[in-house]
Amino acid sequence: MLSVIRGGRVVDPTASRDGVGDVWIEDGQIVDAPGREPDRVIDAAGCVVMAGGVEVHSHIAGGNVITSRLLLPDLYVSEAAPEGHPFAHAGGAAAWIGATYARMGYTTAVEPAMPPTHALGTQLELADIPLLDRGALTVMGNDDHLLTLLRDGEGANAVRDLVALNVATSRGLGVKCINAGGASAFKDGALKLSLDDEIPCYGLSTRRIMGSLLDAVEALKVPHPLHVHCNNLGLPGADDSFIATLDAAEGRRIHFAHAQFYAYGVTDDGKGFRSAAERIVRAIADNPQATLDIGQVVFGQTVTVSLDILRQFGGRKGAKPRKWVLNAGDAEGGGVVPFLYRPKGPTSSLQWAIGLEIMLLSPDPERTILTTDHPNGGPFTQYPRIIHLLMDRGEREREIATLPGVVGERSGLPGIEREYTLSEIAQLTRSGPAKLLGLADRGHLRVGARADVAVYRDDPNRTAMFTAAKLVLKDGVPIVEDGEVVEWRAGRTLSLSLDSDKAMARRTDTYLTDRFGTGLDSFTVPDEAFDAPTFEAVPCRV
Amino acid sequence: MPAWVKGASTDMDTAIAAAAELLGAARTPVIAGLNAEVSAIRAAYDLAGRVGASLDTLGAAGTYAELGALSRSGAMTSTPAEVVGRADAVLVVGAKPWSTELTGRILEARPSRGRAAGAERALMALGTGAPQAALTVPAEGGLLPGLALLRAHLRGHLAEASPTADLARTLAASLYVAVLYDPAEVGEMGVETIQGLVIDLNETTRAFSLAVPGETQDRAVVPVAAWTTGQAPRTGFGRRVPEHDPWRFDAARQVAAGEADAALWLASVPAPAPGWLSRIPSIALVGDASPEAAEVVIAVGVPGRDLGGVLWNETRGALTYWPARAGGAVAADLPSAASVLSRLTDHLAGRSDTAC
Ligand SMILES: [Zn+2]
Repeated sequence: MLSVIRGGRVVDPTASRDGVGDVWIEDGQIVDAPGREPDRVIDAAGCVVMAGGVEVHSHIAGGNVITSRLLLPDLYVSEAAPEGHPFAHAGGAAAWIGATYARMGYTTAVEPAMPPTHALGTQLELADIPLLDRGALTVMGNDDHLLTLLRDGEGANAVRDLVALNVATSRGLGVKCINAGGASAFKDGALKLSLDDEIPCYGLSTRRIMGSLLDAVEALKVPHPLHVHCNNLGLPGADDSFIATLDAAEGRRIHFAHAQFYAYGVTDDGKGFRSAAERIVRAIADNPQATLDIGQVVFGQTVTVSLDILRQFGGRKGAKPRKWVLNAGDAEGGGVVPFLYRPKGPTSSLQWAIGLEIMLLSPDPERTILTTDHPNGGPFTQYPRIIHLLMDRGEREREIATLPGVVGERSGLPGIEREYTLSEIAQLTRSGPAKLLGLADRGHLRVGARADVAVYRDDPNRTAMFTAAKLVLKDGVPIVEDGEVVEWRAGRTLSLSLDSDKAMARRTDTYLTDRFGTGLDSFTVPDEAFDAPTFEAVPCRV
Repeated sequence: MPAWVKGASTDMDTAIAAAAELLGAARTPVIAGLNAEVSAIRAAYDLAGRVGASLDTLGAAGTYAELGALSRSGAMTSTPAEVVGRADAVLVVGAKPWSTELTGRILEARPSRGRAAGAERALMALGTGAPQAALTVPAEGGLLPGLALLRAHLRGHLAEASPTADLARTLAASLYVAVLYDPAEVGEMGVETIQGLVIDLNETTRAFSLAVPGETQDRAVVPVAAWTTGQAPRTGFGRRVPEHDPWRFDAARQVAAGEADAALWLASVPAPAPGWLSRIPSIALVGDASPEAAEVVIAVGVPGRDLGGVLWNETRGALTYWPARAGGAVAADLPSAASVLSRLTDHLAGRSDTAC
C-alpha cells in the first residue's frame, strides 16, 4: 500500500529538512514520491512530522524494575483497561510502558542494564512491551569470570571473545559497564571506588576493566560504543570522575550514561556541589568520539534502580519512603532505593537546572541525548515537559522563578537564552539516539528509512503537543491516532549479530558449571522460549 | 490427547467448549495454581484480564511472607551461587533449609571467591540443629523470638553470655554472612526480622539473606505478574483494573466464602490439587492428568519433560529455558497449557487473532 503524509512541516535534521512537504510510505518504508496516486492520504496540515522517537537509556525491564514494582506497588496509578488490551492502563506494567511511549511518538526503546545471568527473564519482559522495537545492553565489568581473566593477564583477544559470547548468549544490542569493579569491591567491604583504586582480590582498577571493554567493543565492531556508568555517581566532585573516565578512554568511542548525575563540582567550602555543566559540555565538544545522555531530574516521587550496588548502598539512608532493596547478585545485582526529588527543594532544584543546562549549552544535540534515566531522574513521561522547557525560554523563566535562589547561584541556567528548534529536538530525541545505537534504518525520514513516523499537532504548548501525538506509524502501520492506541501490534527486539568463539564457549561452559552448577545452556535466550517471533538481527559495523 | 468431561473421555474440542461454557457462566471465576511455565502463566493472566477472573498461586504462603516483608521494610539479598562461592558464615534458620539441595551445595564447598576465599565456612543453626552445624541456638520459644533475641544481641541491646551471644559474635566477626530461611516456615514477621538483622550487620561487614527455593513455580509467577500488571500476584480483574489484594483473592477463602463460582486449576508442573477444587464447578489443566481431577480435565504437556518451557531454575535463581526431555511424551500428543488457555480466551473474549 502506498501512503502519503501530506502537507505537514517535515522536520528531519539529517537531511537539513524543515519545511512543509510530503512523506511517502510503501511497504513499511519511506520512499521517493513515486509519481502515482497514493492508496491513502494522511492530512498533516498544521502538524509537525518527525521520525519516531528513539530511547537509549530507560529502565523498562529486568530484575530491578520488577523489584521496584514489588517494593512500591502504589508508585503508578492503574486505570480501567482500554479496548483491545487488558493491561495497557496498568500503571508501570510492560503494556503501559509501550503504550505511553507510543503515545508520545516514540517507536524504539532500549533497556540499558541486562545482566547476562538474567538475560532470559529480561528479554521475556521486554518482549511483552507492545508497539515498540526494543533492545537491551549486556552488562559486564563486575563478573568474576572477566575479572579473573584480566587478573591472570590474559590478552585482549580473550576479553574480546568473552564479551562476544556474553552479548551473543544474552542477545544484547550493545555492551555497558556500570561502575566497573564497584559491585565486586562492595562485596569485599569497599564503600567507595574511584578510577584507579584497587579492586580487592583482583588487583585491578576501573580503568583497566573499562579499558579492556572499550577495546573489546571496538574489536568486535559493536555499533553502539561502550555505554559507561562511571564511578561516584551523584557525589560532589563526580565531574572529576567523568573527566578522568573520558581521559581514560584515550580517544576510543565512549557513551556516558546520565551525565547530569556527574555534573556536580565541589563548592569552594567543600561541603556542597555546584553545576559542572560547562566543564562537561566543553569536554564533549572537544571529544567528537564521546556522547552522553542526560538523566534529567524532574520533581516528585520516584524510585532509583541501578546495578551500581556500591552507590545504591551508599544512598540507602536517603530512601524515601524508608525502605530499600539491595541484591548482591551474581555479578552486579541491583539496588532499588525510593527517592523523592522534593519540589522546590534546593538540591533537587539544582539537579533539575544542571540537566537543562547541559542540553542548553550543548554544541551538538545529537551527542547530548534526552533521557531521565527512567525512573532514576524521574519518569520518561516527563519528556514533553522537558522539551517544552528547552524550546520556550519564557516557560523556563516562569519555572525558575518558583525555585530557590541556589539555581542562579550554583548554575548558569537562568542566564541562558537559547531556545531549542524543532530540528534540534529531533536531533536530541531521534537522529542522535539512532546514530548512537548504530540503527541506520531509523531516527530520520530519508528514503529507505523504516516508516516509524510521529505526527504532532503544532502547538506552542509543547508539553501538550509531545504528550499525545496526532498520529504514530510503526513500520507504516498507524498505532496511535489522536493520542490513543488504535492497533496493539508487537514490535521486535533488536539484537546484535555476533559470532562467538567455540573455544571460549567451551571454556565458559566449564567455568559456569563449576560456579553455578549448570552450564552455558541455562544462560541462553532461545527463540523457543518466546510465544511469537521476537528478535531481529542488527549487523555489526563493517 | 487425553481430556475428560465429568469423568468421561472426550476430544479436545469438546473439552474446550465445555470449559469455556463453565467459565463463561461464572460471575466470579478464579484461576489458581499457576504452577506452570512462563508462557502458560502469561496466558492465564491474559485470560483473567479479559474475563475478569482473579489469580492465586500454589506457593502463596511463602510468597506473601516474602512480599509482605519486602514491601514494608525492604531486603538485602544474595544468590545461591554467591553464597556458595563467598560466604564464610552461614546461618540456617529453622528446619526447612536443611533438606534443600542448596544447603547441600553450601555444605560441600568452601569460600572460593572474594575476601573470604580459602577460609573455613562456619555453619550455624537457629531453631533446628543438624550434625553439620558448628553452633546451634535452639530457640525453644519459637523462631521469631529466637530471631528477635539475636537481633537484640547484634544491636548491643543484650550482652549476657548465651549461645545467642556467641552466634551474634560469630556473625559480626565474619566477612560474608548468609542467612538461609524458608519464607513459609518463618512467616512474614520472621522474614522482616531476618532482613532487619542482615541490614544491621552491614553497618560493619557484609551480610545477605537467601530464601531457599520452594517447591512451586511462584518465583516465576511473581516477575510475570509484576511486568504484566505492575503488581505482585493475587490479583483480581473483576473491575477491569488489576487489583492486588492477598486477602481478597485467596482462592481457598473465596471458595469457602461462596464468592467464587468457578475455578480453573493450572498445574502443568504436576502438583496436588487443593481440596476446595471439588466444591465448585472446575477445570483442571494439568500435567499427568487423571479423569477425576475436575469437572473438565485437559491433560497438558509437562514443561521440561514433554515440552520445552521457561521455568524458575532453583540452582541458578533465575528463569531459564528447559527443552523437552528426550524420551518424554511426543510433543504432538499433549498440548501446551498456553495453547489451551489461549483457545479458551478466544472462545470467551471473542478475541481476534491480532490482539496481544
Ligand atoms: Zn540508568
